[in-house]
Amino acid sequence: MSESMNIEHYPQTRRSMLFRSGSAVGMTGLAAAMADTGRLHADTTALDSPFHLPARAKRVIFLFMNGAPSHVDTFDPKPDLAKYEGQQPSGKLYKPSSGSGFMPSPFRFSPHGESGVVMSELFPQMSAHADDLCVIRSMHTNVPNHEPGLLMMHCGNLQPIRPCLGSWASYGLGSENRNLPSFVALSPGRPVVGPQLWSSSFLPGEHQGVSVDTNETDVEKLIANIRSGTVAPSQQRSQLDLLLRLNQMHAQQRQQEAILEEQIRAMEMAWLMQGEASEAFDISREDQATRDRYGSTPFGQSCLLARRLCERGVRFVQVYYVTKTGKQPWDTHSSNNDGHRKLCADSDKATAALLHDLKLRGLLEDTLVVWTGEFGRTPYSQLDKNKSMKNAGRDHHHTAFSTVLAGGGIRGGMMYGESDEFGMNAVQNRVHVHDLHATMLHLMGIDHTQLTYRWSGRDFRLTDVHGKVVHDIIS
Amino acid sequence: MLRLHGLRCLMALSCLTIQARATDEGIEFFEKRIRPVLAEHCYRCHAAEFNEAKGGLTVDTREGLQRGGESGPAVVPGSPEDSLLLEALRYESLEMPPSGPLTKAQIADFETWISMGAPDPRDTVAMKISSREVVQIDWPAARQFWAFQKPRQEHPELATGAVIDLQVRTRLNEHQLTPNPPATPQVLLRRLCLTLTGLPPAPEQSAAFLAAAEQNLDAAVSELTSSLLASPQFGEHWAAMWLDISRYAEDQAHIVGNDKALFFPNAWRYRDWVISAFNTDLPYDQFVRLQLAADMVTPDDPADDVALGFIGLGPKYYRRNAPDVMADEWEDRVDVVTRGLLGLTVACARCHDHKFDPIPTEDYYALAGVFASTEMWNRPLNEDTKAEKNGHASNPDEALHIIRDQKVRDVNVYIRGNVENPGEIVPRRFLQILCDAPPVPFAQGSGRLELAEQIISADNPLAARVIVNRVWAALFGRGLAGTPSNFGALGERPTHPVLLDELASRLMQNNWSLKWLISEIVATRTWQQSSDLQAAAMEADPANLLLWRMNRRRLTVEQWRDSLLSVSGRLAAEIGGKSIQPDAPDGDRRTIYSERSRFQLNPLLAMYDLPDPNAHAASRIRTTTPLQKLFVLNHPFMEHQATALAELIRTQTTELPDQVDLAYQRVYLRQPLAEERSLGVQFVENNGWELYAQALLAANEFLILD
Repeated sequence: MSESMNIEHYPQTRRSMLFRSGSAVGMTGLAAAMADTGRLHADTTALDSPFHLPARAKRVIFLFMNGAPSHVDTFDPKPDLAKYEGQQPSGKLYKPSSGSGFMPSPFRFSPHGESGVVMSELFPQMSAHADDLCVIRSMHTNVPNHEPGLLMMHCGNLQPIRPCLGSWASYGLGSENRNLPSFVALSPGRPVVGPQLWSSSFLPGEHQGVSVDTNETDVEKLIANIRSGTVAPSQQRSQLDLLLRLNQMHAQQRQQEAILEEQIRAMEMAWLMQGEASEAFDISREDQATRDRYGSTPFGQSCLLARRLCERGVRFVQVYYVTKTGKQPWDTHSSNNDGHRKLCADSDKATAALLHDLKLRGLLEDTLVVWTGEFGRTPYSQLDKNKSMKNAGRDHHHTAFSTVLAGGGIRGGMMYGESDEFGMNAVQNRVHVHDLHATMLHLMGIDHTQLTYRWSGRDFRLTDVHGKVVHDIIS
Repeated sequence: MLRLHGLRCLMALSCLTIQARATDEGIEFFEKRIRPVLAEHCYRCHAAEFNEAKGGLTVDTREGLQRGGESGPAVVPGSPEDSLLLEALRYESLEMPPSGPLTKAQIADFETWISMGAPDPRDTVAMKISSREVVQIDWPAARQFWAFQKPRQEHPELATGAVIDLQVRTRLNEHQLTPNPPATPQVLLRRLCLTLTGLPPAPEQSAAFLAAAEQNLDAAVSELTSSLLASPQFGEHWAAMWLDISRYAEDQAHIVGNDKALFFPNAWRYRDWVISAFNTDLPYDQFVRLQLAADMVTPDDPADDVALGFIGLGPKYYRRNAPDVMADEWEDRVDVVTRGLLGLTVACARCHDHKFDPIPTEDYYALAGVFASTEMWNRPLNEDTKAEKNGHASNPDEALHIIRDQKVRDVNVYIRGNVENPGEIVPRRFLQILCDAPPVPFAQGSGRLELAEQIISADNPLAARVIVNRVWAALFGRGLAGTPSNFGALGERPTHPVLLDELASRLMQNNWSLKWLISEIVATRTWQQSSDLQAAAMEADPANLLLWRMNRRRLTVEQWRDSLLSVSGRLAAEIGGKSIQPDAPDGDRRTIYSERSRFQLNPLLAMYDLPDPNAHAASRIRTTTPLQKLFVLNHPFMEHQATALAELIRTQTTELPDQVDLAYQRVYLRQPLAEERSLGVQFVENNGWELYAQALLAANEFLILD
């Protein structure tokens, strides 16, 4: 009575491929699964991605300015703000301005490099890299609230139930270095929203960002369980040898059982990782001059750590600009100008040092660096009760902001897109966050419409049903 | 896209296609000025040629342009001001193309062209646009799909165990495969204990079983099964399955500042209820009924209301009460109910008719209306609890987190899921595909009880199949249907459909008793066979879909951590209560009591694949990572267990070889081989007992279930 079933007809899900694949440890993710089924050359470090696009970026450093930097004070000069200073903006606003109307930036903007990329005086060191930078001035996102804005920028969705960009990259491309995690999130303390920003959500847990609290500098504190607190390495090595012997005898009675082999390999790898990760995460191995160039701030040291990790093949590093006292220091509702002076000084130094080092090592070519916030800030002011312009701030602004990219196949020395004369709305060559995501995946060799995961009855992707690759900014 | 295509409510697609007068001059204008621009800027998203019709609009045919998309006709020939296309090009309402507006001259051309009557020589028939109005489901045909047919019984005369073995054997025979021989009593003992209670056998339990098994294996198994099913540890183990399904959690993913107002500090009371429901073998139909509508089932007995945590512990999103956010919350509720209880992905139909299953968008909103008619309620724990005017406890710490009916109403369909684009109102009712006649609108309050009754009705083909399949998956490591929460067209077909139907029918006949179901299954030859590999069978059926062996599995995080506590003699016997952090080194409570956080899942749980509690989880995935091993090698929790085990061994016997024997007995339920014994003796002499005990606990034999 039962319909004859051809067991070949049962599709191997990516997950089941992962379960059954002998070498799924280390080089994990879709790439590993495909390699195991003979559809991909095992060497994922090759520039050919499994998605038939040439990969320009092998790895990504995502520098995140938590709280949202002001575009009109950083990368999007609006001289007309001076002309219209004090006028209330018209049109539909998120909420009525309680401020004094349009507020010009006090910072001087000038072109830099041969290409003439314009940036404000707040970036004296990054400006030396102008010819490597692509500034998108026409970014926009869905809402001017931090939480959904952060989730959109990280996960392409306003609610916290989707994998983040780094997890998708890890899932799509696997790890470049089997002894290190493929995706690391560096934050001194926790940013707003927190772990959802590096969550793998419904993707397998191994693609979750390994989160590292960069308030710590000791390697033992940076990575969970990287070292035993009580056992000497030589003793642990004997313990491991015993363990491997026990596991071998166990496996001998259960010949060719793939899951046992996987466990054995994972144990060996953990041992290797203890060595390699200890070294990779240890910025004290950098000379003092180098450490100074990045700045002694948590963000500076995080950028330095990001470089070390990328040098060793970590696929995706997220670096958060968070301080011990502030989960979103760039949220300058008051004292916008002073705030930006301090924040940019720190961020400029660290970012420039990172770009410099990557370039020096030839890594900038295939490392994509992204500098952004979750949205921008209003071109008009926000005042406190005293109505003092001295403490004037800027409010959240999502219909225009700026994002800076460098390396990894990005066309340097370029300004792309435009916001209107006030910086209110992106008008020319508008780039939505989905488009940024599509472009980032594209640079990594992934067609954003092809990288999908079947969950809850349908195929999900980072860009949902949206996203357009911005080809104009690719070199 | 909802925004870009933020389409206004112009649903009717009944516009008349006005045949534009195709004068030669007009055609030339079209060919020179219009077609190239359409091709360059619009086709990528709006052309049948590219199989893209965003917003339902195609512009590569005359018909497509004039019929328009979901906002109505794009072009009204002769009437530029009524033409949505022009509005969009001018960035007035919609903003097209999204990459940036066309030049002023180009836009002027479109205006001229439309004034000319929009001459357009393209005669190709536009592709059919899916629209809620257009799609007609052929219900009788749709009901032919296996999952929508009522379960049938082909062997009512056979005992349940016999049906299982017969069906499995039949399928194996079809593929010239044979099942494995029975597992050894030692293997069966460990398998039974870990599968039924999540714990390894206690030494005395072990001795008793092995002695009895020598006399009569079947009787010994039967006796052990009964005692395990009767033990309170049974419920503690099986509750984990339900907490995954119900996306149980105690907080929210979004935390603004340190605001804990939306947290669920008393969530554990629901967990205790679930444990107790499994232990008392609450019939599954009543289990479901109470979780959806306890307040309506037993209005006089508020004690049952804790079951409503099934919905009441759902995610509360940032900016809740905004219409779009509440629409997201409804989706969570619909999703957990339909995937969890029905194995249907109804939430897929929130923005469009389900693409693969006969679930129109109306059906989604018919269920969403039920949850829109409820609110999350922090009910005061008792009469003395301080409460607000609105009936909520002032302090969540003193509240039961459940739901209650409020502002009962039907909701609009949201076209393409856009809350700013409401369509017609849909009455609250059950899914059409699961009703023989047109579904009757719910009349009692929100309709939760009616919904529950429809779900567990004997006429519903899915509820029993879905829970049977989940129990089977828990016992075998894989369900008879490989996609436990999707029995729709994209789900896998059951490997043993006749068997699934038999078990579903019999579960209902046996008063929905899950303990009955479990005891029947574990008594079979199929379940008791060994997990050994057979070369030929591996070749033919590597995934063991046909069940020629028992699947060899890694323990779940609960089974594994509880085993560690158990063999080290540290496991606390206390049942129920507040949550713990499972990686606290000196923790001694079972893992089921771990806090499940939506904000940040405990790293130990996350590392060992406990699903993200932000949404319903169909099943556990199992990863193998070096980070797990770093935990095993270095975490103080492991050292703590190893020390306790070492201490326990040393206090029981003094001679080193005896100690090794005792450790093997305790950890692996067997005597060591000679080589294992000498390795152990040698290692302990050089490195001490603690490191040896930790190695035994870290080894595969402890982690893997044969």
